[in-house]
Amino acid sequence: MSITGQFDFSVVTTGAYRSWLVSGLGLSLQLTAISLALSLPAAATVALMRLSGIRALRGLGTVYVEAVRNVPLLVHMMFWYFAMPELLPQSARNWLYEHDAESVCAVIALTLYTCAYMAEDIRSGVRAVPVTQLEAARALGFGFLSSMRRVILPQALRIVVPPLVSQTLNLWKNTSIATVIGTAELMYQAQRVETDSFRGVETFGVATLAYLSVSLMITAFATWFHHRFPARSP
Amino acid sequence: MTELIRNYGVYFLIGQFPHGPLGGLALTMLLGVAAVLLALPLGVLLALARISRRRLLHWPATAVVYVVRGTPALMVIFWAYFFLPALIGHKMGQVTTMLAALVIFNGTYFAEVVRAGIQGVGRGQMEAARALGLSHAKTLRWIVFPQALRNMLPSLVNQFVATLKETSLASIIGLQEVSFIASQVNSQVVVHPVAIYGALALTFFALCFGLSRLAHVLEKRVAVQRLELPQADG
Amino acid sequence: MVYVARFTPVSWQAAGFCLVAALAMATAVRADQLADIRLKGELVCGVLATDEPMSFVDPQTRTIIGYEVDLCQAVARKLGVALSVKQIAVAARIPELQQGRVDILAASLTHTRERESVIAFSLTTFVTGQKVMVRRDSGITSLAQLAGKRVVTVRGGTQEANLHKVVSPVDVVTFETAPQALIALQQHKAAGFINDEMSLRNAYAKLGPANQDYLILPQNVSVEPLALGLRKNEPTLKAAVDAALRELEASGEAEKLFVKWLGPNTRLRYQTRPFRIDSDRVAN
Repeated sequence: MSITGQFDFSVVTTGAYRSWLVSGLGLSLQLTAISLALSLPAAATVALMRLSGIRALRGLGTVYVEAVRNVPLLVHMMFWYFAMPELLPQSARNWLYEHDAESVCAVIALTLYTCAYMAEDIRSGVRAVPVTQLEAARALGFGFLSSMRRVILPQALRIVVPPLVSQTLNLWKNTSIATVIGTAELMYQAQRVETDSFRGVETFGVATLAYLSVSLMITAFATWFHHRFPARSP
Repeated sequence: MTELIRNYGVYFLIGQFPHGPLGGLALTMLLGVAAVLLALPLGVLLALARISRRRLLHWPATAVVYVVRGTPALMVIFWAYFFLPALIGHKMGQVTTMLAALVIFNGTYFAEVVRAGIQGVGRGQMEAARALGLSHAKTLRWIVFPQALRNMLPSLVNQFVATLKETSLASIIGLQEVSFIASQVNSQVVVHPVAIYGALALTFFALCFGLSRLAHVLEKRVAVQRLELPQADG
Repeated sequence: MVYVARFTPVSWQAAGFCLVAALAMATAVRADQLADIRLKGELVCGVLATDEPMSFVDPQTRTIIGYEVDLCQAVARKLGVALSVKQIAVAARIPELQQGRVDILAASLTHTRERESVIAFSLTTFVTGQKVMVRRDSGITSLAQLAGKRVVTVRGGTQEANLHKVVSPVDVVTFETAPQALIALQQHKAAGFINDEMSLRNAYAKLGPANQDYLILPQNVSVEPLALGLRKNEPTLKAAVDAALRELEASGEAEKLFVKWLGPNTRLRYQTRPFRIDSDRVAN
């Protein structure tokens, strides 16, 4: 709430406040990129585990997905930052605290959370490929993993990309929750600017705009992909 | 662990009640239920506006959905907390604010679910009903909607689970729901973060996993009911 | 970053103007808040409830108690109304007051000249300094040695800004509540924890025998006069609140409250009260 009731956006778009907000935006983007890069291969692995013929692997995959998806991301963040480090040996803990523990724990929480959802989307995508494809591949002599890699996954890709992009959008928005463990991303910096300047509308307005811009870019990519690579029906 | 439960168990379950407002797990569940009950009608209205051919309804509804879905839930909560009361001209308590934020946020998600459900009912149904002389509104009310509802039920329960998880974000505006109380207890006790945050995670898991099992059962029921529908003659 | 007004479509600008108008109307001078409170029969007091001994939740009775809660109780009694205590977050103190969700703030609120432009303050109810608590094994014995290190504190207060004025460069990480920041210090996530002296002394005492590992640096980062927060342009309410506080001071109640929560028999063990409740002038 500004003093005179007039909005003055130049306060938050110049000087120290601007650099705080920009650095916050930068960190949010970094958190998203790193978590995405880690989640994708992990999700593919978990999806394959859940589809495999080995019961133990299937069970493990299911336990992971259910355990992660049914707990809020806030609780994950609290756990990885306040609880997990206490279980580490002293040397690991010291390393962690010297290397920006807030961001590291945020990435861990975000990766594990996003991976669980992406694994489910990949699994659905793979199951949408007709089972005859897998049978044909096996009949031709390919092993399970080879069939997956050469025959099923390429076909599943078209079906799987839209939901994965949707999860990326969620990941981008979820980085805002890292503020509770002291990660200096965009939401944290917006709160910091608001405390110092008393200008809530301007600060949160600019931050919301930043979030929306990236969200719309991600959504635009999804739409483009859908038009360029429509999912083929058999 | 038993000592923790003995000392803080009641606080965790119902907060300060009756010496103060209701909090803890009870508040989490009440918020979730209330938010879903209120978000659903909003979602239906938004969905109808989105599929409407009238520009005046279609464009604003689409804009609202895109803006709210592109913004992090935490940001929506901050806007509701700092600015909604001024907009409405009427002061709002913390619980009301959180409820409003949840309703707005989930209303847009419900809108998409309802829209998909309605569009999933074949066009043939709408055409047949209109051919029989029913008006557009009556068709929606008596023919399309009941069928769409059956399709939507599992998604709706999933969204309920998501809403329950979102209530944890209320701890950031100081609302005494279950995550906030866990943090407070941890601050008092200090030496058992794993037990405390682990218990918090388990609580959410039990609640959400139970509900998603229900969604699973409902999904099976819907499929079974479908098969039992009598086939048309000829 | 560009100004929002230039690049948004007309409908957004219209919405923006409506928002300004609504906000202006909502913050229009009310007839008389004191009269409203008397009519309601209730004084709503905003507290942190996470800051012992100012205001905190007693886990056994699950009620909010503390020095500031008792002050509010005294004010409510003097106004002839009931007291309703409401917990709020540190960063939300001023917005909650401005929007009328609470009538008065008793939330470890520092009286600063900067804040005088948005809210009003009662007589100063407590004077404390902001200090830094460090781990002994870090070898830090003065504020200057904090340069280049990481210090944790609570979000939404004056701690961060004050520290930056005195130590540079310093990496400040903030958390939603002070206890969470203390946990971070204990977990070796930072070299120091800045907060007001009273909260630090409380934390130090609560650590028990483990407090041998900690040290509160003697230098003050700043002097913090705490006061009750009031909405601007409510002279009758301010007069009534100040009168209640003066009465407490004159009757000796204020001294008794101090001893009850911070005296020699408490964890904090202040021997004497280093201030009197008699003024609302502040240096900065």
